[in-house]
Amino acid sequence: MAADYFVMVFIASIGVYQIVSIHAKFDGLCFFKQPILQFIFGALVLIGAFVWFFTSEERNVQHTVEGAQQLGLFLGAIVAGFATTGIIASLIKAKVKPQVDDPPARKQHEMGVETLKTKTLFDGIASSLKKEGRDKV
Amino acid sequence: MPPLSGWTVWITGFVGKVPALDRVMHLFASDFFIPVVICLIMLALWLWHRDRVKREQLQRHVMYAATAIGISTLWVHIINAFWDPWLRPFAVGDPTVRESARHAAQIVFYFAHDPSFPSNATTIAFAAATGVFFGNRKAGLVLYVLALLWAFARFYAGVHFFVDILTGAVIGILTAFFISKLFMPRVEPFPSWFLKAARFLYIA
Repeated sequence: MAADYFVMVFIASIGVYQIVSIHAKFDGLCFFKQPILQFIFGALVLIGAFVWFFTSEERNVQHTVEGAQQLGLFLGAIVAGFATTGIIASLIKAKVKPQVDDPPARKQHEMGVETLKTKTLFDGIASSLKKEGRDKV
Repeated sequence: MPPLSGWTVWITGFVGKVPALDRVMHLFASDFFIPVVICLIMLALWLWHRDRVKREQLQRHVMYAATAIGISTLWVHIINAFWDPWLRPFAVGDPTVRESARHAAQIVFYFAHDPSFPSNATTIAFAAATGVFFGNRKAGLVLYVLALLWAFARFYAGVHFFVDILTGAVIGILTAFFISKLFMPRVEPFPSWFLKAARFLYIA
């Protein structure tokens, strides 16, 4: 049950990130260039995760996944979902705009997800590391 | 037996009469459906705004709501440790209440063994809804609807008395109010440090 729960939240969170990144314009998290495709993909993944979880087995049974464990699994799954989304989007390099008023690289960590409006996760991390290395020299 | 226990007999009397309604309540009462939907809505709100300042404000409220969920659960555990006033409806001595609730729980949910009072599910759902409501009213109202559905489904399933549900909702709302309006603003800069750390990891 715990593994299934983790997988459901992990997959559903990827769907959520895809849908939210259309609205928030986090191009660095997008898998598709067309927002409509991205929305359809996100919604299908999100709904699919729930349908799979609730139809694959009877879930209203006495189980051992108690509150604290559920919380831990949920947090782990959404962080894993975020990392996976960032990695896939970085590999696809989908819909990343040319850098306009790019913040100084050192500030990228302080900008957080705002960086993902103009860069992929890989690009953001790489340019931060590069800048830090240059500063040390 | 708690006050208003007759309501349990009345509501559980509907179970088995409309199979489609039972199936919907079976889903809504689940330990996994509504809580995951609530948490995913909170996740979406975490990243929702395009504007950085507005996004950070909403992130603070989501953080307050998450804290309220944790603290309200703690309250429920403390209450359970010192006071367990009655059994689940399907396990009480009164045969009318017991048999009606037993029939409902068998169809809609399962025979949970943890304490009945107060409803932990209702507590965390209302804590989340209230915490989010202070940051985004529309999203907060959606979460209140989900919280009500979850609470109603548990009542319909015969696993809680009405008093369990009502007390859970009150604990959740009051805890979220305390956390959002009184506690968190007074423990600055810790919430800001948390957000800064999250930004460092590209998750805020």
